[in-house]
Amino acid sequence: MSDAVSDGGSDASHDDGQEDVMTPAELIAKLEEAWLNERFSPELLENRSEVVECVMEQLTHMEENLQRVKKGDAKASIHRMEIDRIRFVLSSYLRSRLQKIEKFFPHVLEREKSRGEGDPSLLSPEEFAFAKEYHTNTESYLKAVALKRMPPNLQAVDLLKTVPEPCLDSFVFLRVKERQENILVEPETDDQREYVVDLEEGSQHLMRYRTISLLVSSGAVQLI
Amino acid sequence: MDPLEVEFLAEKETVKIIPNFSLDKIYLIGGDLGPFNPGLPVDVPVWLALNLKQRQKCRIVPPEWMDVDKLEETRDLERKEDTFTPAPSPYYMELTKLLLNHASDNIPKADEIRTLVKDIWDTRIAKLRLSADSFISQQEAHAQLDNLTLMEINTIRTFLLDSLNCMYKLRSNLQPASSKGQYADF
Repeated sequence: MSDAVSDGGSDASHDDGQEDVMTPAELIAKLEEAWLNERFSPELLENRSEVVECVMEQLTHMEENLQRVKKGDAKASIHRMEIDRIRFVLSSYLRSRLQKIEKFFPHVLEREKSRGEGDPSLLSPEEFAFAKEYHTNTESYLKAVALKRMPPNLQAVDLLKTVPEPCLDSFVFLRVKERQENILVEPETDDQREYVVDLEEGSQHLMRYRTISLLVSSGAVQLI
Repeated sequence: MDPLEVEFLAEKETVKIIPNFSLDKIYLIGGDLGPFNPGLPVDVPVWLALNLKQRQKCRIVPPEWMDVDKLEETRDLERKEDTFTPAPSPYYMELTKLLLNHASDNIPKADEIRTLVKDIWDTRIAKLRLSADSFISQQEAHAQLDNLTLMEINTIRTFLLDSLNCMYKLRSNLQPASSKGQYADF
């Protein structure tokens, strides 16, 4: 997400999302890219709250305008349909992030803890609060129903070890947006040799997520 | 991914309609549309075209590839070649279904088109199954899948990816050196 550099704080909530010159149509396209990537990647991707916020602004802005239009206007109904479509993508995107947070919460929180001072955060502030609360609730639930009735030496549970990590070795389908050279493909079995492939722009591939995970976050490939 | 979501993506494609009403330019978030004048063709996204059609406010002009002669050519080529030929449209299956279900009266020879597209689809899916089979039996780590459409990928996604993951788990248990204990699942 190199284009997120200018999003220093969450105070970018002025009108028109001025941090980079992007038309609303490009913004929607960005949201759809983020949506598909998030849907198909096995791990939680970096948050795109700058995109989410701008889209929210556009939607509220449009809805405010529609308030002023009288009922039965032909244009208004078309605008509403478009808003509903965008809202669907937006909520599906946020929902799939929440599902992943619930599934991998100890690891997500661990990564958040070990991240350096200047590194971008994986979670948005709201998602971070959600993950922390989910963690506390799971722990106290386990304690209340089972752990406190166990012998003292068995009362501790390490969630980091018990909750499975995202499997980065899963295969994913992807489409190449920027040409890449010399991607190393690791062999499946010991008697095969590793080899390199070039990813041509516009071509589609099936390979392990681990090999191309960096390209997904840089935006050079799109998961499909 | 749900097939309906793939259809949702296909609805973003544009299609020509001939409206029977007039309306100024509309400034949607995703771009400007119109102006609409009775009898003058205009490009709109499929979702809007279908809505207008259902309210009997327009006639849909079928996309260029949705034509019996062209589809017959594609079908024959698809049957002749061993590899995937370029699909008539990246959303040919979804668009055929949507347009034929909601606007079959605007599309000449709708039934023939339906059969042809189904033939093309069947041929391509058969090839897809064959290549998935050889992908698995040769234990490949990478495959290039140009010309496959999203709907085609989607029909095989869950089954293929889950089986690959399962086999990977089994294999990494056979090779204890590479196991890191992270493939545990519920």
